[in-house]
Amino acid sequence: MADYTKPLPVIEPWNAPYWQAAKRHEFVAQKCRTCGYTHLPPGPACTNCLSNDQDWIQLSGKGTIDSYGVYHQLWHPGFTDDLPYNVALIELAEGPQIISQVVGCANAELTCGAAVEVTFDDVTSDVTLPKFRLIRS
Amino acid sequence: MGLQDLRDQICIVGVGDTQQGSVPTKTGDELAIDAARAALQDCGLEKDDIDGLFVQPSYGRQGDYLKVGLMLGLNPRVGGAVEASGATGCYMIQHAALLLHAGMANYVLLVYGTNQKTNRNRFGGALLEEHAPYGAFNPSLPFAFAFRRHMHLYGTTEEQLATIAINQRHNSLLNPKAVQKTPISLDDYMNARYIVAPLRMFDYCYVTDGGHAFVLTTADRAKDLRKPPVYIRGMGRQEAFRAYETPDLVMQSFQQERVAKMVFPMADMTTKDIQALYVQDAYSPAILAAIENYGFCPKGEGGRWIQGGRIAIDGELPINANGGQLSETYMVGWQNTCDAVRQLRGECGPRQIKNVERIMCTYTGGLREHAGALILRR
Ligand SMILES: [Zn+2]
Ligand SMILES: [Zn+2]
Repeated sequence: MADYTKPLPVIEPWNAPYWQAAKRHEFVAQKCRTCGYTHLPPGPACTNCLSNDQDWIQLSGKGTIDSYGVYHQLWHPGFTDDLPYNVALIELAEGPQIISQVVGCANAELTCGAAVEVTFDDVTSDVTLPKFRLIRS
Repeated sequence: MGLQDLRDQICIVGVGDTQQGSVPTKTGDELAIDAARAALQDCGLEKDDIDGLFVQPSYGRQGDYLKVGLMLGLNPRVGGAVEASGATGCYMIQHAALLLHAGMANYVLLVYGTNQKTNRNRFGGALLEEHAPYGAFNPSLPFAFAFRRHMHLYGTTEEQLATIAINQRHNSLLNPKAVQKTPISLDDYMNARYIVAPLRMFDYCYVTDGGHAFVLTTADRAKDLRKPPVYIRGMGRQEAFRAYETPDLVMQSFQQERVAKMVFPMADMTTKDIQALYVQDAYSPAILAAIENYGFCPKGEGGRWIQGGRIAIDGELPINANGGQLSETYMVGWQNTCDAVRQLRGECGPRQIKNVERIMCTYTGGLREHAGALILRR
């Protein structure tokens, strides 16, 4: 996959477990042992109480689309073949929100409030991006 | 002692601006110096009267505080760089007010200059580093999210959003400083291409070159200067670094609501006292956010509320009578405050708001994290 031209995540000591889990197709977040707060994106300390004492927990991978935008404008050449592509704000069942993409459907199928679940996109041999797909009932 | 002790104690006494739009012959720092000179001339102060200096950085290493201070030939007692993107001008005015009130300075100069149009700054960066792999570029995305959700929750339409761009373009036709001079019809708006849907080309500010500067002093000193002082009646601000952790992502509500709880009590005013509103409008949904979160209209009603000429220059609440950043120029809010000052002095010719005495200016910076407001009075 040497021809992958999109930006890749910057892996730091405090977010490495997140990306290592994604590579195993597991979706995780930090949960504070001191106050119980669950948060994403990963950080060096709990954003609720600043404790360093954090666990990595498995997330259900379920969430809903709070909102989304559809890019018609190209700002990075790696996305040339994707236009128009969506970027969605997803509220996870466990509380945190993340920005990702909803894949496997047309942009016209997206709606605010739609149920989604995580899916894993192995974009390079080292990096897997958690993305989402619509839960079709 | 509290913020209300500052009420009407500090004034904006000088405003300066430069040619705007495309100014390929000048660097951003040169435009900053031109704006500073114009602001000093506006109030009749000499350069060496200035003992406070704040500089806003711009794209491409322009607006370095030390470098601009050197170029201005100043040895200010107080000052520095402030970086809060679109809220910077507002925050600097507040810093200056506090320093002046405390006696740490007598006359403070604030400057901003940029040549980001000539240098082809595309605002193509990712929101945060972690968003780049998902293609989340350009600061408009949170506003696209917010407007999409507003449509979903409240039935607001793209045709209603169009009112903002159309109104501001109409205003820019009356403003000789404005860069955009072609009228927009509803058809023009609806036929324009999407950038990040649901936002179209006309919902975006136009990147421009230019410079702006302000001079502030205390109310007692202001009386001796060339132009009538414009008083800072109220001010407020709130950061929201945890905005992404909050469930309500509709239109940046909590930070602006908290600013409202500072600025109106300080001014001893309510929304009913405000006769015109200037919103730092990098993207048009910022206007809906401001009118709802500061309480000019009920939550969710913004799309309907702005119809029927209510926000026109002769309407109940004129908004961005200069054309704003969608049509006058993109000076991260500085040009809106500059126009508010000129409106309160009655200097605005065909775009003059009749009998205007009290104006509110609101600012949003970054993605969602900075919010600030000023209430200015004649
Ligand atoms: Zn904690
Ligand atoms: Zn000389």
